[in-house]
Amino acid sequence: MAKGKHKMTPSEKSQARWGLAFVAPTMIGLIVLNFYPIFNTIYQSFFKTGDFGMGNVFVGLQNFASVLGGNEFWRSLGNTFKYALIEVPFSIIFALLLAVFLNRKIAFRSGYRTIFFLPMVAAPAAVAMVWKFLYNQQFGLINNVFGTQTAWISDPGIAWISIGVIGVWSIVGYNMILLISGLQEIPHDYYEAAEIDGATGVKQFFKITIPLLSPTIFFILQTRIIGALQQFDLIYMVMDNSNRALSSVETVVYYFYTQAFTYNNRGFGAAIVVSMLVIIMLITFLLQRAEKKWVFYN
Amino acid sequence: MKKLKTLVSLMLAAVMLFTAAAALADGFSVDVLEVKIWDNNQLAGLQQIADLWTEQSGVKVNIQVVDWDNYWTLLEAGASGGQMPDVFWMHSNNAEMYMGAQKLLDLTDYIAASDKVNLENYYEGITELYSKDGKYYAVAKDHDTIALLYNKALFDQYGVAYPTDAWTWEDYKAAAEAITEASGGDVYGAACNTTNDQDGYFNIIYDFGGYVISDDHKSSGWDNENTIKAMEFIGTLTEKAWAPQQLVSENGTDTLFNNRKVAMISQGSWMINSFYTYEGSEDYAWAVLPYEDVNGNGQADEGERVSIYNGLGWAAAANTKDPDAAWSLIEWFSSEEMQLKQSELGVTMAGYIGASEAFANAFPGMDISAFLEMESNGTLVFRPYSKYTSRWSDQYQRELVEAWNNPSAMTGVLYNLAGEMNALLAQE
Repeated sequence: MAKGKHKMTPSEKSQARWGLAFVAPTMIGLIVLNFYPIFNTIYQSFFKTGDFGMGNVFVGLQNFASVLGGNEFWRSLGNTFKYALIEVPFSIIFALLLAVFLNRKIAFRSGYRTIFFLPMVAAPAAVAMVWKFLYNQQFGLINNVFGTQTAWISDPGIAWISIGVIGVWSIVGYNMILLISGLQEIPHDYYEAAEIDGATGVKQFFKITIPLLSPTIFFILQTRIIGALQQFDLIYMVMDNSNRALSSVETVVYYFYTQAFTYNNRGFGAAIVVSMLVIIMLITFLLQRAEKKWVFYN
Repeated sequence: MKKLKTLVSLMLAAVMLFTAAAALADGFSVDVLEVKIWDNNQLAGLQQIADLWTEQSGVKVNIQVVDWDNYWTLLEAGASGGQMPDVFWMHSNNAEMYMGAQKLLDLTDYIAASDKVNLENYYEGITELYSKDGKYYAVAKDHDTIALLYNKALFDQYGVAYPTDAWTWEDYKAAAEAITEASGGDVYGAACNTTNDQDGYFNIIYDFGGYVISDDHKSSGWDNENTIKAMEFIGTLTEKAWAPQQLVSENGTDTLFNNRKVAMISQGSWMINSFYTYEGSEDYAWAVLPYEDVNGNGQADEGERVSIYNGLGWAAAANTKDPDAAWSLIEWFSSEEMQLKQSELGVTMAGYIGASEAFANAFPGMDISAFLEMESNGTLVFRPYSKYTSRWSDQYQRELVEAWNNPSAMTGVLYNLAGEMNALLAQE
């Protein structure tokens, strides 16, 4: 084939034009709603921002120095990891167990599936409010049913677990649905063959189900880690400003929100999220490297 | 075909001319003004007042309510992008920021030329708040005061005498402790969270002669000797008189009060309606706030019974399409007649001095004269604020939690707060 530009035929041209026209809405949306804000945030992180986006003063890396030099960023980063440590593994383990059970032919199967998926349909803010009532120390359902006096969301030692539980509850149904669809991709012959060879159910689970499900598990793991590191709304809804456990559950995004929107410190806030972006990118990179080690694509 | 086109465009032009002429007839170039507020309780009354203006001006007023948090997000985004509502409320938390950035319509000349608005008739603290470098950016819409709300049934049940205007804060403490004790901890005498500043412990601080921010808004008062004395006293309240901080933080003082877990709370006049409409409110009564007898002469003197007050302002966007119409509406809301009407309708007390009496009668069956008495028998002190109020107010609301739970830490927390607040104020 000769080098140089390939001349498009009129029909190819028309196809290309239509193609562009069809992707344009998504592209424009991405550029306006995602790319522009990303670059603008990175830009702002180098400025001492003025009110209403006017009078920004370039300060170089000063915002980053004060973000990374202060305790609060690291404390909230620690809180974020604590949250992720509960939400990610437990929501996947529970979802996996549920998926395996609900993939069998049992009575009311679709009813159960719907029930577990329901939290996903409810507005996160509403979910958080309901849990807040349940957790209430004096009047909450949990303490009243069990006759306990636990300060579920005000005790700094417990609050992070209570928040994590809400996170697990909210996401487990979604993970379950993804895993069920993964399960249905596994050919039935494998199990039949295993049965003939005398493999027990548990053995089948670990030798067939898990390996063949690993791409789905990996996908969930990766998206959930990123999601958990961005946790904000749960804490915003459940924790009052005067809650004495706030500083032990405050996540990075919550810290960013307070600085950027409550205190009107946009530049400082931008430096917080840009730092977080770097951390998330690093984690994603490590995960991608790890993927080759244990994820099984057939 | 061409003829038809010409005809149509001619007709269109004629229609446009007529509409323009109709709008211009009363001097305004717009048909509708967009107004934004954050308090749903006030919507009906304010719309009624605005409709009276529409009858005269022919310009419709579209009032929209956006809750407090979203209101400021929306307004700020609007101000950055040049899309603000025409007329809206301003608040002491943010006024300086908006004035400094020239986002509010300069009303100075309008006020000077107006025969309805004379700034001497409005609360000085509010007027001062909405002015910068000799220019005025908003007119006082209302003012508020604080009073003590108590549940008569609970006082009767535990045999404690009702609050009176002779109460000092020590009497308040004794009565609250008596209720907490008599109920065996089932009911608490009173409650106050670290977030109940203007409607709570700030009043005690100023009664003791302390302050939170200096008059020039440049330095913190947390380490002031009298402030510390007041806060140490507040520390003793947290031990028995007040409900535990954790309980209050999880539920809010108003919920605890409405559920008969707390016998009295201090509340601002902007909250009256929510208690008035609450089931079981026949047991509720209002008293003036207690005072602190600093000079020890057995009576409340000037500055010993303080009500921290705040006032919203009616402001307009600097880039509103029709500044004359916007001003006309603000002038209407601020006029003596409409300020009286605002009180009469029970919307709020007036920003116009002496136009609030009717407010006392706006809630049949509930005596709220205590709010007016706080003014006639007490001292009004304007709510502490600076350019970026929420930076340091958020801080003390969070950090005082420790002292509320462990009063012996109070002084240490206060010195910390003073240092942090001074550092923040230095950046403003």
